[in-house]
Amino acid sequence: MSDRVIHVEELVREYPMGGEKVLALRGLTLSIRRNEYVAIMGPSGSGKSTLMNLLGCLDTPSGGDYWLNGQEVSRLTDDALARVRNKEIGFVFQTFNLLPRASALHNVELPLVYAGVGSRERRERAVRALTRVGLQNRMHHRPNELSGGQRQRVAIARALVNEPSLLLADEPTGNLDSTTSEEIMRVFSELHAQGQTIVVVTHEPSIAAHAERVVVLRDGKLDSDTRNRAAA
Amino acid sequence: MILRNLDEGIGIALDSLRTNKLRSALTILGVVIGVATVMAMASIVEGVRTQIFNAMNTASPNTFYVVRFFSQTPLNPQHLPYEVRIRPPVNDRDAEAIRRMPEVEHAALWVQVFYRLEYQGVQTQTVLIYGADQRYMDVLGGTLLRGRFFAPGELDGEPVAVLEVESADRLFGRIDPIGKRIRIGGVAMTVIGLYQRPENMFEPPGQQIGAIIPFETARRNYPYDETNGLFISIKPHEGIPVTRAKDLSIAALRRARSLRPGMPNTFDIITQDQILDTISSLTSAFFGVMVALSSVALLVGGIGVMAIMMVSVTDRTREIGLRKAMGATRQEILWQFLVEAATLTLLGGLIGIVVGLLVGVVLKQLMDMQSGVPLWSALMATVVSILIGLVFGLYPANRAARMDPVEALRHE
Ligand SMILES: Nc1ncnc2c1ncn2[C@@H]1O[C@H](COP(=O)(O)OP(=O)(O)OP(=O)(O)O)[C@@H](O)[C@H]1O
Ligand SMILES: [Mg+2]
Repeated sequence: MSDRVIHVEELVREYPMGGEKVLALRGLTLSIRRNEYVAIMGPSGSGKSTLMNLLGCLDTPSGGDYWLNGQEVSRLTDDALARVRNKEIGFVFQTFNLLPRASALHNVELPLVYAGVGSRERRERAVRALTRVGLQNRMHHRPNELSGGQRQRVAIARALVNEPSLLLADEPTGNLDSTTSEEIMRVFSELHAQGQTIVVVTHEPSIAAHAERVVVLRDGKLDSDTRNRAAA
Repeated sequence: MILRNLDEGIGIALDSLRTNKLRSALTILGVVIGVATVMAMASIVEGVRTQIFNAMNTASPNTFYVVRFFSQTPLNPQHLPYEVRIRPPVNDRDAEAIRRMPEVEHAALWVQVFYRLEYQGVQTQTVLIYGADQRYMDVLGGTLLRGRFFAPGELDGEPVAVLEVESADRLFGRIDPIGKRIRIGGVAMTVIGLYQRPENMFEPPGQQIGAIIPFETARRNYPYDETNGLFISIKPHEGIPVTRAKDLSIAALRRARSLRPGMPNTFDIITQDQILDTISSLTSAFFGVMVALSSVALLVGGIGVMAIMMVSVTDRTREIGLRKAMGATRQEILWQFLVEAATLTLLGGLIGIVVGLLVGVVLKQLMDMQSGVPLWSALMATVVSILIGLVFGLYPANRAARMDPVEALRHE
């Protein structure tokens, strides 16, 4: 039990669409253990992003339950969810989502601002996180002074700075070329080797190949759940 | 919790200010104008009040007056209301009755008229001419710069005038005015002295003293207004409180006019305190009107802030989504945008204070007033401008705070 970072049961998410309802997730059950590295795949519209939003506590399910580190989080208030996101979750987005006018360092400090960490400690921890992703020489650059791969590494450093129990990445290489994608995936593999629990959504089998487990969704349901020999 | 992220809030505000200079400038313009108006007005009103207060304190704090009827605005002599018409104008016998009291140092019937002074084709503006007696300066203060004041022997209507120094400068420039014949309202008078009014003496616009002439001279040569222009000026002895002197004068006048107990007074007494009250209530009213007008500017400014903040919130939807994903609560987002709005309006307020004070200084310079910077109004303006930001920023900030993080992150 304590080993399970994520446990969702019969998870349902429906969206109202002009009188009708779109069922993005229709009863999904899934567990992810500590230090697992899971890739989520599936055709477009199968519910991958919907699932990631729920796992990241950005959204709440229409039905079913979600335990994050043993805590039931599917019925929490907005602000309680914000606290959970701040403490437990690190997000990496396809479009990086960095603050354009802030330096790499300040971008990475952001989650610590909302964690109420004092400015000196904030800086130290942000420097450490940037060093972890190999950007110690780019700390004072702004996003537009960085390459796509570097931007995504800043985003990864930002996701890590709060030492979250769960790192979520929705198509983190969607905007990157294949060489840079490989670079980013190497960073993920290193983090995984250091004990980080990671869930990555991707369309690319070559990206999914880095994970130890591949979960495939279809029409909002589990289609397959397999171990990846190559990565193990 | 709230002060914790003030630096982040102000940092964001300054950032968006830097990137949207024109937009921010327009946003705070209304606040600048509103605050500047209040500040300029406050500084002028303060100036006027200081001036009046000094005048009352230094010139002749104990002098008071008896008039036929006291009203805050001059009465039309052609259409006096009944309650005025039944009162006799003040006269020499009234003055004599008061003068005989041991507590009174001096009392005399004086008159005010308004005319231009003229010397060889050069004219002054319309100035105040006092028809008084030889003790004028004992009662109202001032100094004799040159020449002499009129003697008791000249009080029976001699055409002599003591000229006020500014009017003298206007008429004569460098020429010595003593002994020259000027015309006051067309009547020829000889200048016998040069007088300087007491420092800080308060003269409402259009009421600058131009000359002092004997009472009889004024009475014979000019039509005068028995209600608004004729009065008895009274100076009690040193050490006699004004209130006591006033009560005694009322009693003396009632006796002189044979008023039986129970009958109302047929005259009014005006003390400096009353004049001060009247003027200060007038300046307060003026100030109130200005505050109301500038509140409109502030309101417009506030609505501008609200509109710009709405745009800013929409522009930064993704950023809001991101901040929420990173763990910002509703309250923290709300606070962030409130701080941003307040930073903008505070900046506008500070600029407005500086502009308003400068305008006030220039105007006071023009109106020849002196007074300190009214600190309370600067503090008020600072607080008010922050409040405007908070109040008008509330709606946009609340909208930002309530955004759904998933929707916000998907925003294009
Ligand atoms: N806000 C929304 N309102 C209505 N329908 C939605 C909303 N978000 C998602 N959906 C629907 O839910 C389904 C799942 O969408 P989701 O974004 O999870 O797919 P996905 O697997 O991430 O697809 P992709 O690979 O294209 O990113 C789709 O049919 C989509 O149209
Ligand atoms: Mg998706």
